[in-house]
Amino acid sequence: MNLFKAELRRIARRRLSLIFGIIAAAGVLVLAGVFWFTSSKGPTAEALEEAQAEADRMNEENYEYEACIEDEAYLEGPDYEWVEDDPYYDGLSHEEACAELFGVWTAEDLIWTYTFDFAEESPLLLIGVAIVAGLVMMMLASSAIGAEWSSGGMANLLLWHPNRMRVWGTKLGAAAAVCAAAVLALMLLAFGLLYLAASVRGDVSGVDAGWWDENLPKFARAAVLSVGMTVLGASLAMLGRHTAISGGIIAGYLIVGDMLVRIAAMALQMPFSERLSLYTWVTAWVDGKTELYDWTDLYAETADVMVITASEAGLLLGGIVLGFAVLATWAFQRRDVS
Amino acid sequence: MPPIIEISGLRKTYSRAFRQPHNALDGLDLEVAAGQVHGFLGPNGSGKTTTLRALLGLIRVDGGTMRIFGEEVPQRLPDVVARIGAVVESPQFFKHFSGRLTLQLLAESAGVSKTRVEEVLEQVGLRDAAKASVKGYSLGMRQRLAVAQALLKQPQLLILDEPANGLDPAGIHHMRELLQWLAHSQGVTVVVSSHLLSEVQQLCDSMTIVSRGRRIVDGSVADIIAGHGDSSLTVRFPDAASLPEAAEALTAASGSLDAAKAAVTASVDRDRLVVRGAPEASWVTKTLADAGIYLSELRTETKNLESVFLELTGTAPVPGQTVQIGESAVVPAAPAEVAVGDVTIEVESEGAER
Ligand SMILES: Nc1ncnc2c1ncn2[C@@H]1O[C@H](COP(=O)(O)OP(=O)(O)OP(=O)(O)O)[C@@H](O)[C@H]1O
Ligand SMILES: [Mg+2]
Repeated sequence: MNLFKAELRRIARRRLSLIFGIIAAAGVLVLAGVFWFTSSKGPTAEALEEAQAEADRMNEENYEYEACIEDEAYLEGPDYEWVEDDPYYDGLSHEEACAELFGVWTAEDLIWTYTFDFAEESPLLLIGVAIVAGLVMMMLASSAIGAEWSSGGMANLLLWHPNRMRVWGTKLGAAAAVCAAAVLALMLLAFGLLYLAASVRGDVSGVDAGWWDENLPKFARAAVLSVGMTVLGASLAMLGRHTAISGGIIAGYLIVGDMLVRIAAMALQMPFSERLSLYTWVTAWVDGKTELYDWTDLYAETADVMVITASEAGLLLGGIVLGFAVLATWAFQRRDVS
Repeated sequence: MPPIIEISGLRKTYSRAFRQPHNALDGLDLEVAAGQVHGFLGPNGSGKTTTLRALLGLIRVDGGTMRIFGEEVPQRLPDVVARIGAVVESPQFFKHFSGRLTLQLLAESAGVSKTRVEEVLEQVGLRDAAKASVKGYSLGMRQRLAVAQALLKQPQLLILDEPANGLDPAGIHHMRELLQWLAHSQGVTVVVSSHLLSEVQQLCDSMTIVSRGRRIVDGSVADIIAGHGDSSLTVRFPDAASLPEAAEALTAASGSLDAAKAAVTASVDRDRLVVRGAPEASWVTKTLADAGIYLSELRTETKNLESVFLELTGTAPVPGQTVQIGESAVVPAAPAEVAVGDVTIEVESEGAER
């Protein structure tokens, strides 16, 4: 327990934790700020009137439209005979047909308003916050362990605590606990700020029991994903004994490795090649389910469908994390420390 | 009282790509008695640090047994580690933490009180530097911090790998007094590895010398020096011409000596005669006087640890040549028991190449 507390304090006292903490909080603040400033509950009457006047003025300059409006028989002229036969124009009044043909400006075209719909848009944002927070915590965890190896602090710690399994378990536990706390805090902060922005300048309707039922599991799974990433980062740092190795492997795989695997799968004409991409599984895990379509059979009426459920994705991703954690445990137990 | 540290037949082999595996430890034995300052000596690369790392569970070994406080290690290390303070080879710390925080975190992790941190900082002279981050520490300051870390748990066994490394003269002096005080009034057993032989001679009660992963000799420092010191006499004459004559007289007279004693050798070295194996200085004067040769100066060469060390490890300098790492003396695996004075010292005399 003492070791766990000391480990928490060690993470908390690192400068990187402070920097990442500030950056993450600032990021959430900026995100909420963007919605605060772009969202509004629709245009004011005054702005609408002004825009209508401007639209009218612009329509006056649109001579063809004016001519069409003024002349009821305009569309029966030789140039526009086809309009009568075109089903698209069926049932349109003369004015509407003119507007379709020559274009017309309306007040809405000239005034742009955006209303932030909290119920609709916040789930994706909150999941994004959780995943980005997870990435940040993954870097923090791998640097906490990597730096301890490369600085030589690990050898020193083992002189005090020779039971390596206990040291590793404690470190992993501390990293996961800090990650979970940080992700939760950031999600709460993001939720609070976005809700505030939406209630003042947007729309918060629809956040009801049904909304929670639908989204809470997604949020929880995103948070679990973040903790999983932290464990993965810590395990890789333990294996590579260096921060850069851990970060490099993860970034390298997500950016290059994933793409190479998919290209290889496509070259082999493998059906459902997206299933080799980690992103597919991550999406399935967070969203609850992902459907992949296979169009390789060009004569088929409908595509083959492959459904990946959250539990399948959870098994795969959990297996990957667990695999690396076990590997790191084994390596730490066996390898010399010098 | 049983020894605090008992190591026997310790082996550690490093495998190397495309080369023969390297035996860093080749059946090493080590015993350290309680309440002593024990020196652990050997040329570079002879396996001192490797031994200490193995003892503290940092590396796995390929054979042999180790005990600390009578407990088998590394299996039982978690039970005894609270009583062991250690510094292994130029210790490193996380650079961005202050010296104080580094110690506080360790203390917290093992349930050592916070006041103890201030005590050890004071003890190693880092009181005022403790709030600076380790990044800005000099070599000696880092060494002091490492020693502070080892002292933190008030250990009964203190293991220090080259503690004097980087310390200033005052620091070395202080360290010596501290270690002697710990050993002789606090009953702490101290093991130090060091290359500063004059320091070892002043500081240690007993010692072990190793070469190429094996023990060459162990015993009390005084006995080892007495037993192995090149006890030679240097003789000068008013007239250098009498040198060969004197050498002859001494060699001839040695024949009448006790057969059990080693033969007396007398060799001419420039304007001096170097006599080895003579029973007494007076025997030399008498023999020479009997032969009608009178000497002008007779000096007993003082024995010191350095010459003993160089002789035993086979690393004595040869003019115009550097002794390479791994060229020190090789000893046969089975030690020969040789009596020196009234103490039995295991002498594993210098052997030929394997
Ligand atoms: N990690 C390692 N990999 C390979 N060989 C090693 C390793 N560590 C030590 N050795 C070898 O083991 C031998 C003993 O090294 P060790 O560090 O114990 O020497 P030492 O007696 O402490 O020397 P020094 O006086 O220089 O500190 C050396 O030959 C060294 O090359
Ligand atoms: Mg060493």
